[in-house]
Amino acid sequence: MIPRLRLVLASVLTLAAFGMLLLAAPPEQKSAQTKTSAAKSTATPKPADVPAVSTATITVNGVTDIDPTKAFGSKSAAVVVEIFSDFQCPACKQLFTNTTQRVMENYVNTGKIYLVHRDFPLPMHAYSRVAASYSRAAAHIGKCEPVELALFQNQEKWEANGDIKGTVAAVLSPAEMKKVQAIVDAKTLEPLIEKDKQLGQTFPVTQTPTTVFHAKGATYPYAGTLSYEVMKDFLDQLVAQK
Amino acid sequence: MMQSAPFNYRRVIIWISRLVLAGIFIYAGYAKITMGRSPRPPLGVALGFFEMQVSSYQILSHQASRFVAHTLPFAEIALGLLLLIGWQLRVWATLITLIIAGFFASVVRAYSMGLQINCGCFAKPEPLDGMTVVRDGALLLLAVLMTVFVFMEARKPHPWNATPTL
Repeated sequence: MIPRLRLVLASVLTLAAFGMLLLAAPPEQKSAQTKTSAAKSTATPKPADVPAVSTATITVNGVTDIDPTKAFGSKSAAVVVEIFSDFQCPACKQLFTNTTQRVMENYVNTGKIYLVHRDFPLPMHAYSRVAASYSRAAAHIGKCEPVELALFQNQEKWEANGDIKGTVAAVLSPAEMKKVQAIVDAKTLEPLIEKDKQLGQTFPVTQTPTTVFHAKGATYPYAGTLSYEVMKDFLDQLVAQK
Repeated sequence: MMQSAPFNYRRVIIWISRLVLAGIFIYAGYAKITMGRSPRPPLGVALGFFEMQVSSYQILSHQASRFVAHTLPFAEIALGLLLLIGWQLRVWATLITLIIAGFFASVVRAYSMGLQINCGCFAKPEPLDGMTVVRDGALLLLAVLMTVFVFMEARKPHPWNATPTL
C-alpha cells in the first residue's frame, strides 16, 4: 500500500514540477512552435528571395517623385504628362485603352512627351490597391506595359472574382511571376504607391482618371476621360509652344 | 422738349439683366482665353484646354467641340459688349437667351447622367454639381425675363420718338 502511495505522490510531484516549468517559460518560447507553423502555411518569402528593387525616384522637368519604372519617353521632352488612375475604375480603362496607348505610340515613342503613370487607388474599390501593388511590382521587373494592359483589359473579370494574381500570371512567365509575387509580399514598393496618392492630393485629384499636363512651368490638371483626338489637339498646342 | 423714358419695373429689370448678363459673358469669355492665369498661356493652349472641357460633356463630336471651343469665348465677349451697348437689343437678347438655354440643357443633362466633370464655365476647375444647375437656371430665368420685357417695351413708342402732345 505504502509503495503505491509513494508512486502516486512522486507522479503528482513530477507533473506539478513540469507544469510549473511550462508556466515559468518566457512567452516567446511558448509561441515559437505556433509561429513556425504559421510561417510555413503562408510561405512568406525570406528577405533573401525578394529581388532587389529600388524605391528611388527621379525629377523630370520640375515634376518630382517619378518612379522611373512607371514612366516612359524622353526625359528631355518639353511636356510631361501624369495620369492618375485606378485599375478598377471603368473610366480609367476607357482612357487607357482608347487614348493612352495611342499617345504612347505617337507622342511618347517619338520623344515629344514624357508620360508618367501614377497610382491613385480609390478606397471605394476593393481590389484597386492590390492591382496597383502587382502593377508596380511588375514595373520593377520591366513588365509594366503588359501587366497594366492585362489588368485594364480584364477589369470586369477580376473585379468579379478578385483574381488579380491570376490575371497578372497569365501575361508573365513563371519565373517573372515568382519575382513579382515576392515583391508584392515583401511590400517594398508600397511607399511609392502612397507617394503617388499624396502627390495627387496636392493638385487635388478628386476623381480618376485625372491627367495633369506640365509644360513651360505651367500645370493643367484635367479630370475625366478624354478621346485621343481631343487630347491630341491639346498636346499639339503644348508641344508647339516656343 | 425731350422727356426721359418713363421709369417702370420692366425697364429696371432690363437694365439690371443687361448689366449682369453682359458682365458674366465678358468675364466668361475672357477667363476662357486667359484661363484665369497671369501670365496668360498661349491662346492655342487655352482654347485646346477649353476644347477638352467641351468634349467632356459628351454631346458634340470632336470637330464640333473644336469649333465651339474656338468660337464661344470670342462670341461671349462680343455678345456681352453688344448687350451693354444696347444696339439691336432684341436680336442679341434673344441670342444670349438661346445660348444660356443651351448651357442650361447641357448642365442638366450632365448632372442627371452623373458625369463627374468640370463645368468649364469660367475655365477654372469647378466641379459640375447641383449648384451649377441652380446658377445656370437662375441666369436662364433672368435672360428670359430680359428678352420678354425687351420685346414688350419695343412695342411701345419711345417717348423721344412719340408725337409731342400740345
